[in-house]
Amino acid sequence: MIKVEQLSKTYDTGIVRVEALIKVDLEVTKGEFMAIMGPSGSGKSTLMNILGCLDRSTSGDYYLEGIPISTLDENELAKIRNQKIGFVFQTFNLLPRVDALRNVEVPMFYSGVHPGERRKRAWEALEKVGLAAHARHRPNELSGGQRQRVAIARALVNDPSILLADEPTGNLDTRSGLEILSIIQDLNRQGATIVLVTHELEISRHAQRVVHFRDGRLVKSEMIDTPMQAAETLKAMKQQMEDTQ
Amino acid sequence: MRLWEMIKMALESIWANRLRSALTMLGIIIGVMSVILVVTIGQGGQVRILNEMESFGTNLFAVYIGSVDDGNYEKYRFTLEDCRAIRESIDSIKAVVPIAYGYTAVEGPHKKESAYVYGTDGDYDEVRNLKLAEGRFFNSIDNAVGRRVMVINQRLAEDMFGSSREAVGQKLKVRQMSVLICGVTEAGSGMFGPESPMVYMPIKLHFRLFNSEDNINELHGTAVSKDLVEDTAKKVIRVLELRHQAKDSEVYQYVTMAQQMEAADKVLAIITMIIGAIAGISLLVGGIGIMNIMMVSVTERTREIGIRMAMGARREDIMKQFLIESVVLSLAGGSIGMILGISISMIICMAMKVPLVISLGTVLLAVLFSIAVGVFFGLYPANRAAKQDPIEALRYE
Repeated sequence: MIKVEQLSKTYDTGIVRVEALIKVDLEVTKGEFMAIMGPSGSGKSTLMNILGCLDRSTSGDYYLEGIPISTLDENELAKIRNQKIGFVFQTFNLLPRVDALRNVEVPMFYSGVHPGERRKRAWEALEKVGLAAHARHRPNELSGGQRQRVAIARALVNDPSILLADEPTGNLDTRSGLEILSIIQDLNRQGATIVLVTHELEISRHAQRVVHFRDGRLVKSEMIDTPMQAAETLKAMKQQMEDTQ
Repeated sequence: MRLWEMIKMALESIWANRLRSALTMLGIIIGVMSVILVVTIGQGGQVRILNEMESFGTNLFAVYIGSVDDGNYEKYRFTLEDCRAIRESIDSIKAVVPIAYGYTAVEGPHKKESAYVYGTDGDYDEVRNLKLAEGRFFNSIDNAVGRRVMVINQRLAEDMFGSSREAVGQKLKVRQMSVLICGVTEAGSGMFGPESPMVYMPIKLHFRLFNSEDNINELHGTAVSKDLVEDTAKKVIRVLELRHQAKDSEVYQYVTMAQQMEAADKVLAIITMIIGAIAGISLLVGGIGIMNIMMVSVTERTREIGIRMAMGARREDIMKQFLIESVVLSLAGGSIGMILGISISMIICMAMKVPLVISLGTVLLAVLFSIAVGVFFGLYPANRAAKQDPIEALRYE
């Protein structure tokens, strides 16, 4: 699915030279849920941007479903972002002026889906994340968790090859965060390939594999035999609350 | 992505910042409105003035004495005999009248005022297309015997007797001589300002009153057809040159109504164009307003640009989005300005009694120009939007 070979990224401002990524080799298989762990400045965001085709590597190769991404021009990259990648950001990044439904429609807007079909698919995606009832609400009328669910619906609507989630729970309270994780795990069970970036150890334990980054290098890759299940944690939390009452 | 959807998106974004958009459009509205106003009223005025001039008779021409090098004015002076000779020798002439100018006090029963006093002959009303409101114009017999009659204009009649009707049959003192009013001319349009008091009298009477035998200032003539005006005027000059043995061809000169209309038309068109161009500057200022607000909009929506790029928008999609927004803004302003401009022109033209001339060209030009303003002033901000780095844009707070 994703294959990265000897990927390096150097920022050269003329005064300082920062090596954000150094010769990274990484492979993500179809249907996998992988977490990228690392402190800030470890290069995980840079990798995320490159995987998301928002940025280009300085050297090395990146193949997405066999497509050599490093050789594509800007318009082709835009098309890859549109068709093959679903983004979920820490700060949600919804358009503030339009409602949830219209936000979910945005990627289809750029892939030329017919307006009627677009609306239908946007509804379906919102239903999938349990937010159909709030389709007509604007982002500022939704809670953080709800906003992130709109963002997930938007990421899924063009049926991408891979879902890239950059600290998706970073701006959420524990409970909302767990709900989002639970949705992500559900999607993964249904076959979605997921790459999640986090700096929280506990969040990363929900993935099947965690790769650790430090100072631009991939330092460790570990398999999680029994990933934590967000749905179960939520259930336990609920139970606990009921007990204390 | 369909154009219509981009337009819809632009409209939504404009609507989201209603007040700001309205203020931005104001520049274009005022610009287009003033251009249409100036051009429409200018063209209306032009038509009106030309109609007015046409009412004097398009076949009209005037002959006057130009430069006399040998200083012998007496020799070249027009005579009543000249008029007769012209009438008899030129076929294409319909009428020719001598004109002697004068300006003097006219005394009525209650008041006294100064008036222009023209001495001429009985054909004058025909030559100048003069219409009488009351009474009659004096005729050639009045003229031949130098009868003490005259025609005055409405202004003078009203000043002296209260109305045109009252004036006919009354007498006014002109240079101590009582003269009978035999007719009153119709009021003019008042287009060239308020009319001055006017008196028309037989030229022989004029000579007597002003003690100036044969002091004829100009000859006015009409040709039988429009095409023959120039030719006739030239023939008149030829006759005069022969009769007065003028070797210098500069002595007698002529001017036709057609020439004057053409000159007036040119001057008016130039004035309209200049004022229109000045009004056009406000359009330019409006365009700068659009550019300014689009720059603000691009900065404000940096994050939106980042989001759209992450979702698969190409740079040209972003470019189009902002460009269409600025064009929609300027076109909407242009359309409103056009409607306002035309409506106000209608009111003003009605009030000024000027015909409403709305040329399709002007309207089209105003609309096309506002589109051009939108494209031109939207290009830079839109380009700036499209050049954003998606990662930076996504991070923008």
